[in-house]
Amino acid sequence: MTAIRDAYIILKNELMLTLRNPFWIGFGLFQPVVYLLLFYPFLKGVAQAPGFPNANTIQFFAPGLFIMSAFMNGSYSGFGLLDRLESGFLERVRVTPVSRIGLVFGFVSNEGAQTIIQSSVLFITTLFFGLRFSVFGAVLLFLLLLLLGITMTAASYAVTLKVKTTDGLVAISNFFAMPMLLLSGVMLPLNFAPRIIQWLSAFDPLTYAVSAARALIAGQVFSNAVLQAFGIFAILAVAALWWLNKEMQNAVS
Amino acid sequence: MIMQENTLMVQARGLCRTFVVKGRGAEKIVEAVRSLDLAVYAGEIFGLLGPNGAGKTTTMRMLCTLLKPTAGTITIAGYNLTNQQDQIRKHIGYVGQKGGMERRATGRTNLIFQAELYGMKNQQACERADQVIKQLHLESYADRKVETYSGGQRRIFDLAAGIIHTPKLLFLDEPSTGLDPKSRSYVWQAVQQLNQAGTTVVLTTHYLEEADALCDRVAIVDRGQLVALDTPAELKRKIAGDIITMSFNNVDHVQQAANLFKQQMFVKELQLQDVSVLLYVDNGDESLPASIALMHQHALPIKTVRLSRPTLDDVFLKLTGHSLTNTEGGLT
Repeated sequence: MTAIRDAYIILKNELMLTLRNPFWIGFGLFQPVVYLLLFYPFLKGVAQAPGFPNANTIQFFAPGLFIMSAFMNGSYSGFGLLDRLESGFLERVRVTPVSRIGLVFGFVSNEGAQTIIQSSVLFITTLFFGLRFSVFGAVLLFLLLLLLGITMTAASYAVTLKVKTTDGLVAISNFFAMPMLLLSGVMLPLNFAPRIIQWLSAFDPLTYAVSAARALIAGQVFSNAVLQAFGIFAILAVAALWWLNKEMQNAVS
Repeated sequence: MIMQENTLMVQARGLCRTFVVKGRGAEKIVEAVRSLDLAVYAGEIFGLLGPNGAGKTTTMRMLCTLLKPTAGTITIAGYNLTNQQDQIRKHIGYVGQKGGMERRATGRTNLIFQAELYGMKNQQACERADQVIKQLHLESYADRKVETYSGGQRRIFDLAAGIIHTPKLLFLDEPSTGLDPKSRSYVWQAVQQLNQAGTTVVLTTHYLEEADALCDRVAIVDRGQLVALDTPAELKRKIAGDIITMSFNNVDHVQQAANLFKQQMFVKELQLQDVSVLLYVDNGDESLPASIALMHQHALPIKTVRLSRPTLDDVFLKLTGHSLTNTEGGLT
């Protein structure tokens, strides 16, 4: 019970700080919106090529964009924690009897809340580009985005506590984030890719999230893709949270 | 504050901490703290004095549950570090070097958050924050964002956060480093005030003046080991005093002067260096005129004379055989 209370105290404090500086929520939306404005028109032209899966490009592109946004925000969330580590904030908190698991859930749920806020803004924006969706599918899509955001946040936070330096965090984040993103077929359909890329993409969990997001927007709620994605990310979320909890228990120096 | 000899607040035995530092290919093991024994009694202000890299901060972090000791036992306020961490955390306050106040929030908000972390309900936390703000006279800037504070104002707020739960024992890691003299004495006053109200204080410092002004007892730490432990007055008496350096025209005069000085009561110790005599005296201001008069009396012409106060460097040099400023190892 104290863990839940402690998580709430942390979450309350974090949300208050975010609300005082809403700039950062907007900043996180910059990249997906740039893709929407500067890449989507290209894609629309390319989508006329034979073999492109969907007649309506936005139905293909928007779900990938949601996944990309949630994934990137989670993957780079460690930089915020790095600042708290350097300012001594984390040390000050860790010396109090606050429960470690409460700390983990407090920080992660704050990032989760931001994922939902950003995804909502992005979702509404794509409606102006003609996105059609099923309500139940959209609800499940947000759940998937939350799960993805939590997984990547927990992993990024754990890496931050492990490496403790900006350089290390930049290197590791880029090393994993960019290949995962490109292999997942978030920009272009994977059936255009050479066989080796297709083979590799099967090992990228993000591939399953992207497929599931497209299926959910299309209303194919009980498809295999959706089941696979939820299964994979449920496991990954638990693993990442467990790892973060372990790092949080250890010394912060 | 008079210390109660029989109530131990901190007891550390055989405390060790090693770090593995990865260099080019090879791993190097750094012993930051080596078999340290400490006892701090209820009611005192206890100082850990040493240069950067001496292991002061590492020691303090171990006492505060932030770092696991490699070896040794720690008991804080009667609780064992290995299995009663939560109990210890409830009873201690800790103010790190960086403070850790959230810059984007007001001082008051920070204090309320801190109080809530110690399990107080929101209303209770607000009341307690208000109390501490009044106690340390922070009313005039408590409702401004921390990023607008001066170094001294921020430091006092760090202190306020450290005592929000009225801890029995307060740890301060270099409480006045980087502060101007005015802010420093402000911090010192606050620490003394807290101590008089019954809080036991353990602090680290690399300022001799700070140890002198605040501490009831001082442990001098160097290269992870305890070098000396005593009251500041006793330490100064043992190690310090003033140094009069007097130089002469030739070795002959130096010898004559040395013979004369050896018979003087005020000279505690005497060293010869080329054409100079180094006199270790208790009170340089009084001994300097007396020394000059003595030389005049015996018609020994003095070439130069210098009176120097011992710095922490001298203290270290004398105790450890190496200078404070050239200490190896960069761990703090």
